[in-house]
Parts: sequence; C-alpha cells; structure tokens
Amino acid sequence: MEQFFQQVANGLNVGSTYAVVALGFGLTFSVMRVINLAHPELFMLGSYLTFLLVTAFGFSASTAPLPAAIGMLILVLLLVMAGTGAAGLVLERFVLRPVRGRYILIPFIATGGIAIFMQNGAQRVWGADPVFVPSIIPFHAFDLGGVNVTSAQLTTFLAGVVVMLALRYYVRGTRWGRATRAVAERADVAAACGVNVNMVSQLTVGISSMMAGVAGVTIGLLYVSAWPFMGLLFGLKSFVCMLVGGNRHVEAIMGVGLVLGVIEAMVTGYITSTLRDAVAFSMLLVVLAFRPNGLFGSYEV
Amino acid sequence: MMQAIATDYVTSRRRVLVALALVSLVVVLDVVGVVDIIGALNDLVGNLSGFWQVTLIYAGMNAIIVMGLYFCASAGSLSVAHAAIAGMGSYMAAVLTTNFGWPFPVAILFGAGVGFLTGIFLAVATLRMNHLVAGLTTLAFGETMAVVAFNIDYVGGANSFIGIPLHTSFGLVFVVLAVLVFAAWRFDTSRLGYAARAVRDNPVTAAAMGINVPWVKTMVFALGCSMAGMGGAFRGHYILVQNPDDMTFFFSLTFVIFWVFGGSYTFVGPLFGALFLTIIPEVMRFSIYERYIMYGLILTVVIILRPQGVITRVPLGSQIRLFGLVDLIRERKLPAWATSALGNGSRAPAEVSQDDDS
Repeated sequence: MEQFFQQVANGLNVGSTYAVVALGFGLTFSVMRVINLAHPELFMLGSYLTFLLVTAFGFSASTAPLPAAIGMLILVLLLVMAGTGAAGLVLERFVLRPVRGRYILIPFIATGGIAIFMQNGAQRVWGADPVFVPSIIPFHAFDLGGVNVTSAQLTTFLAGVVVMLALRYYVRGTRWGRATRAVAERADVAAACGVNVNMVSQLTVGISSMMAGVAGVTIGLLYVSAWPFMGLLFGLKSFVCMLVGGNRHVEAIMGVGLVLGVIEAMVTGYITSTLRDAVAFSMLLVVLAFRPNGLFGSYEV
Repeated sequence: MMQAIATDYVTSRRRVLVALALVSLVVVLDVVGVVDIIGALNDLVGNLSGFWQVTLIYAGMNAIIVMGLYFCASAGSLSVAHAAIAGMGSYMAAVLTTNFGWPFPVAILFGAGVGFLTGIFLAVATLRMNHLVAGLTTLAFGETMAVVAFNIDYVGGANSFIGIPLHTSFGLVFVVLAVLVFAAWRFDTSRLGYAARAVRDNPVTAAAMGINVPWVKTMVFALGCSMAGMGGAFRGHYILVQNPDDMTFFFSLTFVIFWVFGGSYTFVGPLFGALFLTIIPEVMRFSIYERYIMYGLILTVVIILRPQGVITRVPLGSQIRLFGLVDLIRERKLPAWATSALGNGSRAPAEVSQDDDS
C-alpha cells in the first residue's frame, strides 16, 4: 500500500505539470480556436531561461539558507514568466492572430513551423545535449507516513496547485475571466456586447505562456536538465489531457492532467516503463470513441 | 442538365478504363522484360551524385505517402496517422521479405493491403465524428500503434527491425509515383472522385443526391491509407531499417505539412509540397544547424501569407495556379451544365473561400 501511495505522490507532481501546460493549450484553443503547437516550446524556453538565470546569479542551493532559496525561486519564477509571457505575446501578434478563424490545420501548421524554428534555434544556441539546470531548492526528503517526497517534488506540486487555483479564480471570478469565457463561447456576440476580443486574445495567450514558463521552471527542478526537444512528448501528452478533459471547464483539464500523471506513474511502477507513453493515447482513443467532445465539454471548430 | 452530367460520368469512366488498361499494359511489359522503364530511369540517375539520388528517392517516397493523404482528404477525412500506417506497411513487407523470403512485389502488395485494412477500420471508426475529432482519433491511433510496435519483440521492438534487403530503386519509386499521380488525375474526374468531393463539401446534400456517403468515405480513405502502406514498404526496403519512432505524430505531422503547404485542393499541390519540402532542407545542408530554423520560418511565413497552399485552383475549373501568377494547366472551358448552373457565362467564379473545406 505504501508503494501505491508513493506512485500516487510521484504521479501527482508530474501530473500537475501536465495540467499546467494543458490549461495553456485549452485556454488558447477555447478563445482563439487555434491549436498552438508552439506552446510546449514556450515551456522548453522556460526551462532554458531558468538555466540561464540560475547560472547568471551564481546561486547554489546547497549553501544558501532556506529563505534565500525561496526568494530566489520566486524571483526566477517571476522573471521566467515575464520572458515566456513576452514571447507568447509576440507569437500571438505575428502568428496566431493572422491565422485565427481559418481552417483548423492552418494555425496548426503555422505554429508547427514556429515550433520547429524554436526547437532548432535552441539546439543552435545551447547545443543538442541536455544542459544542467542547477537546483534552486535545497534537497530534502520528507517522510509523509512512509511516502518519500523530495523538496523539488513538493515545490513542483505546490507551484502547480497555486497556478491552477489562480487560473480558476481568474476565469471564474474576475471581469476579464468572464470576458474570456464569453469570447470562448461566441466571439462575435462577445464583441457585439463590447468585449475587446483582441485584448482578450492577447491576455489569454500571455497567461497561457506564463503558465508554460512556470511549468518549465518546475520541470527544471524535477529533472535538473533542459534539452531542445523536451517539449515534444511532454507537449503532446498535455495536448491529449486537454482533449480528454474537453475545453469547456478548466477544472476538467486540471483533473485529467493529475489523473494522467498518476496513471502513468502506476503503469511505470507496476507494469513496465515502455508502456507509459501509451497511456495518454489509449485514454484519448477510448474517450473519443464514447464521448467525441471530451469528457466534460465540447471543442467546436 | 442531368443528361449532361450522366454523359460526363460515362465518358470519364471510359477514359479511366482506357487509362488503366494502358498503365497495366506498360507494367506487364516492364515485368516480362519487353521494355525496361525502371532500368532506364535508374540509368538516367546513375550519373547524378549520390546526394541527389538519395534525396530524390526520399522525395519520391514521401510523395507517394502524401498522395495517399490527398486521396484520404478528398472525401473530407483528415488522417494524422499516415506515418503510423506507412510504418505498419513497412513492418509487414519487411517481415515478409526478410523472415519469409517472399518476392518483393508481393510484399509491397501486402504492405498496401495492411494500409487498406487499417484505413477501413479507421474510416468506419471515425464515420460519425466531425473532422477535427476524426483527425484526433487517427492521431491517437497512430501513437498507440507506435507504442505497440515498440513493444513487439518479433519485429525488433525498440531496437528497430534490421536486416531488410535492399529492393527499392529510383526507377521503381518514380514509376509508382507516376502511376499514382495519373490515378489521382483520373480520380478527380471519376465517379468516385466527384462523389468524394460532394461528400467533402456537404455530406447531407451528397446523401440527398443518392451518394452512399459511408461507402464513399470508407473507400476513399482506405485507398489513401493503402498508398501510405505502400510508400512505407518502399521506404523500409530503401533505408533497410524500420524504427518505431518513425511512426509517431511528428512524422505524420510532416506529411500533413507537405500536403497543406503545397495546396490541398488538387493533386499537384501535395506532390509539389512533398518534393519541395523534402529537397529544400537537404540542399540547405551548407548550414547544418540553421537549415531547420529556416525551414520552420519558411513554413510559417508561407502558410500565413497563403493559407490555401502554394498551388491552388479555381474550384470549378481545371486551372491550377502557382502563387496566382502562373497557370500550370491551360484554362479549359467548363462543361455546359456547370456554366448553366452558375448562370454567369463561361468563367468560373472568382476563387471562393476554401477555409472550410480545403
């Protein structure tokens, strides 16, 4: 039973990262009707920015006191969010907006070209080998009733939960969140009611990109490395989370992300690690066969 | 008017039969050795450098798979599993030639057959879905197949299937490609082609006109998938290794990119896209690192500037345009029934929006 809870704990922190990236996919897709294939590359960019920042500050987690480490983490998170958010705004203005409202494959390919560009650009700048991302949080293993959780895992999970709660509040509890939901429902009617659709698009893509940046930082904490093609499989699985949950409710995407992380950890722990990557896609096959619009809501194009 | 359409069908059918007879005659002559087209083509490229031979063969094999995508899409179904289907065809043919020593042409046919059956399965499974969900289902299917291949030890699993004999040659690839291009050209004016486009444009109206929509969709999709299986079988017997990684989403996406980049509306577009986008990164090898950076940028800029693809045409005529400037095929007068239905003289209407049906 302890092994079971250990797998759940391992799965939850990877799952929270899936959920954060998947929420970005879902928001952009709902508001702009665009599948942003460059979204996982912003996540990759977030990891590399973490590497650059921590190296530039010359920060060492083993010698710094805990408050300094937490302050450092918050500083890095803010700077990375600013960086990926800016990249997202540029992407929105020059790539997403011109192809918005086109046949679904057109933005797919336009952002796919940007993804190829960013992957190979990262490879050109930082090399094809993984770079070592220095740890920000000092290593410590907590023993929660027989379940071992490292400080990096705990930070990842907490950051994921905070981002998800913040997004939930933004979408359900604020004026701009209401405008976002209105645009996601019917962009033309929302515009007729006075919602600035372009502004909402920019906000949405900016927020999505910032969340991808947060996921990049936390994955840097978990895997202590960044490599140019890290966004490929990770992004695809997050995309699948969004499709399985459906893009109507943000809570659905969060839940599916967490569940996918847990199931993958279970498959790795109890069956074999080679089948881990099949979980997401078989889940998608089953869900699409029985609920063609996702578990909880519809993607209309 | 109905009389005119019926006549058109009959003549186009007769043309198809004549064309098929001619093609099979040539193929039979080639096989029995009266003429040696494949050998002649191989001699022709024998003078080229090894670089160009390899690049052209790759381009040809990609073009075969992308022609399959064109067939699939002509009835409105999107396939994001073509790399997986090509991989399945390749595994099938490779097992037959390597482990059982079957002759290569038979193995190719079996590769195409695997693609055909997979196509029927996928088409039936996605029949009731809208085009986005259907595409996503094929995506999930392809990824699952890649993991399945990864876990079957009989075909090498993660270590790839190795030791495939070399059978594919330049001449063979391009003769097959020529046959497929010819088939696509005749398909466009065949009964099945008209029906497929009617289904793509509006399934409900097509059904009201007496078209058997499920049959047409399934048949066209299976045909396209069989081409993917065949192209994969050729590829397996050229690179001599079949790796499960070749079946993943990113390779399927590459084929979709070839198809949309070239222009999804006619068979010339996918052909152009596959050849151009295969050759361009190879000739840009002077800058190893920058070539895919430039490739990505070119892709994005072209698709933003020209979302309907590089080569497109006025839907009702047979005019194929490159960047709206060069007419690749001379403008032909529309049939009388089309002009009378439009009621605006002999010209086709200005290019209609293809956003919803391209």
